[in-house]
Amino acid sequence: MSTYALNKLLREVNRNPQTRERFFADREAVASEFELTGEEREAVIANDVAKLYKLGAHGLILRPFTLIQQMPEPDYLAAIRSN
Amino acid sequence: MPIVYATGASHAPGITAWTQAAPVEQKDKLYAAFEQMRQSFAAAKPDVVLALTSEHWINFFLDHVGAFCIGRADFYDGPVEPWLRVDRTRIPGEPQLASELLAHCYENGFELNYSHEMELDHGTIVPLHFLMPDMNIPMVPIMFNTLAEPRPTPRRCVELGKVLRPVLENSGKRIAIVATGGLSHDPGEAGHGIIDQEFDAAFIDRMRRGDLAALSSYSDAEMLAAGAGTMELLAWLCMAGIMGERGADLIAYEAVKPWATGVGIMSYPLAA
Repeated sequence: MSTYALNKLLREVNRNPQTRERFFADREAVASEFELTGEEREAVIANDVAKLYKLGAHGLILRPFTLIQQMPEPDYLAAIRSN
Repeated sequence: MPIVYATGASHAPGITAWTQAAPVEQKDKLYAAFEQMRQSFAAAKPDVVLALTSEHWINFFLDHVGAFCIGRADFYDGPVEPWLRVDRTRIPGEPQLASELLAHCYENGFELNYSHEMELDHGTIVPLHFLMPDMNIPMVPIMFNTLAEPRPTPRRCVELGKVLRPVLENSGKRIAIVATGGLSHDPGEAGHGIIDQEFDAAFIDRMRRGDLAALSSYSDAEMLAAGAGTMELLAWLCMAGIMGERGADLIAYEAVKPWATGVGIMSYPLAA
């Protein structure tokens, strides 16, 4: 897993209720607080699950991240397998 | 005092969170097996539980990765997941035994990380809540890094078990060992839902025979090929190292598709 900052952001959203609330209110603001690459930043803001997985988001961080957004399992699996 | 109980069990969250999603025959078999394990655990009257276990980015992240982390806390809270359908509770710790284990490990080639504060997720809570519903027996957790590369090798996990054994046997306490995780599964990853029954059968066979050489010979790649979650079996390998050449009985195994896991329970026959 090379994408340290990306996983850090996603895990913060999963684990920290305050970050989570701020993130879903303003994704761009929270994304700007992490040292993301341009590609990572775009995927985070667009909530592009396929791209996030391709860029190196860990399954056990990305799946909880999508679960808190009520993403059904078949949709999640279709997204990460579409790469 | 001997080790009075030793069991390995899967910790798939579906076991408690999506119980009814499983085919009823599979669910009934596994729940009957957990009930059998609860009874044998109670009959063994343990003073302490050594939980050989893993977690899922709850306490640990890539800002600081260690291979093994032993808990020296006065208590452990969990589960962290509100959706697990297991009540959040506080399990007492056993810091004195943890410190004895830690000191002995340092003297014998294993510089474990240690922590005075760890939360427990489904990885520990799911099997434990079946075995001790009151969650009242003091525990010492050892967390294995099963997530971030490089991971401890199977050989080292067996070796760690061999190092732990004399401290447990001479502790003056009745020790229960609970290893959690596995068997094959690939949670949250592209192979989610795939269960490698061939791998699981071979692993169970090695455990049954108490074949430490064969268990030690697994490679990281070989285990990873059966799914990322299969790495949780490192904790079982440590248990096997503690138990020596004894073989474990298979209590139940079911490849449960809706739980996306080869769910296994094995236990060592011990005089209580």
